[in-house]
Amino acid sequence: MATLEGSPDSNGAIRGGRAGALMRERGDQLLVLVVLIAIWQALSMIYGVYWIGSPWGVLVRFSEGVLKGELLRHTSYTLWEAVAGFIIGAVPAAALPFLLRRRPIITAILDPFMVGGYGAPKLALAPLFVLWFGIGIESKVALVAITVFFIVYFSALAGIRSLDAKLVQMAQVMGANERDVARHIVFPGAVPYIFTGLRIAMPYSIGGAVIAELISANRGLGYLIQLGAMNFDTTGVFVALVAVTCIVIVGNWSVNVVERRLLRWRPPADLKLETGA
Amino acid sequence: MAGQPLLEIHDLSKRFAQRAGREPPPWVIQDLSFTVGEGEFLTIIGPSGSGKTTLLNMIAQIDSASGGSVRFQSQIAPIADPKALNPGLSCQIGYVTQEDNLLPWRTTLRNVLFPLEVQGRLNDETRAHAQMLIRAVGLAGFEDHYPHELSGGMRKRASLIRTLVYDPPVILMDEPFGALDAQTRAQLQEDLLRLWDLGRKTIVFVTHDIAEAIALGDRTLVLTRAPARIAGEHKITIPRPRDIRGIMTHSEFGPLYQRIRAELQ
Repeated sequence: MATLEGSPDSNGAIRGGRAGALMRERGDQLLVLVVLIAIWQALSMIYGVYWIGSPWGVLVRFSEGVLKGELLRHTSYTLWEAVAGFIIGAVPAAALPFLLRRRPIITAILDPFMVGGYGAPKLALAPLFVLWFGIGIESKVALVAITVFFIVYFSALAGIRSLDAKLVQMAQVMGANERDVARHIVFPGAVPYIFTGLRIAMPYSIGGAVIAELISANRGLGYLIQLGAMNFDTTGVFVALVAVTCIVIVGNWSVNVVERRLLRWRPPADLKLETGA
Repeated sequence: MAGQPLLEIHDLSKRFAQRAGREPPPWVIQDLSFTVGEGEFLTIIGPSGSGKTTLLNMIAQIDSASGGSVRFQSQIAPIADPKALNPGLSCQIGYVTQEDNLLPWRTTLRNVLFPLEVQGRLNDETRAHAQMLIRAVGLAGFEDHYPHELSGGMRKRASLIRTLVYDPPVILMDEPFGALDAQTRAQLQEDLLRLWDLGRKTIVFVTHDIAEAIALGDRTLVLTRAPARIAGEHKITIPRPRDIRGIMTHSEFGPLYQRIRAELQ
């Protein structure tokens, strides 16, 4: 009796087409990468390896660094700062709008301060944090946390505000109490927004850690960059930059994997727009 | 067919809140009174903009009234004070809205189980009942699909059985089949009558389609344009079970259709 519009089989065909498109996309991306490396190589030949380390030289030094474990040690140090700061900043930032959901007055009072905090150049705080928390890991974690916090806070707030009042009314008619509404409607509805915030905040967390290390550190990729620049070793700087880029790519990929898993319920078109995948 | 009035609407009125510096807003509904008997299928028909949704929202206790009262089982419902509203009157009034309002992050099955879950009534028996309803409306095989993977008609079916599954004594329906094509719509009307025949719930069904109002109801109320008042009331004695697709050929249908159309103008 059912009129079964849109059977699973027809979806399968669409997915096959998508896989083909994805392959083409990957091929084009490889092409762009090759072009970028060629430009890099050309510049390094024009200006000399002294100013711009060559791609090959960077690759050699990169492999050496990985094999000797030195590069990995610095990378893991930076990564650890970024991850710790990311969690310390993102968790309260995602939770706060939920806690203040029923207190619009407090949210309104906080608003100008949050906007100020969001707009202020956090990187300028780095020297201050070094003064307060020392040159160890704490100052870097603090800088990452404060950078991530404001980005995620506004995303989560937008998620709460996007709440569909009709879904809430429906749930209440069906007997949902305040807790059920928060758990089953407000939270799942805000998750896509929180993920948008996390994806934007992720590169900032790596960047924040690296910049704090540039100011003052004796470990980490920022320290390697600083060291390379002081010794006129542009190849060393590029090696550290490549490592930073690798972390950002892996980080972005991890956020996407988690998001795709949690947001299976979204129409694929939406997901594609959001992730740019 | 109607027994003791289960639901009594008395002098119900509604106007939306006044905005500063403007004329007082017009009445959407004014002094509307009617009753609904236990087990009755009441259809309400009115032109668009006649406050039909507002009326159901007030009965469902998700919107407050500016005057009048709603009694359920002779108990007066707190309807004047927006803060005292009790949406769904403690799960006694179900509401199938115009949009399906399915939770997009839940699969079909988990959407249907949602009311049972929040009411703490999820057990083997209610699960089996949910599965029975899913099969009855042809959603078997789509339990694990998300709403965006379902067609409009399937979403409507899911939204309908999500209310049936917890068995509220009264079910309000707000043009639930309005946005569907004629074929799917007739199919859903048949499904609804078949399901209703199993339990004979009390139903208040709002529509702007005269044929639908006649085909489904035991009785139909005709509303005027805003402010909504009752322009006519008709008992529909076409015997059940009814043949939805062939109902136009019934001798009672034509004259009733004409009378209702005249009242709507």
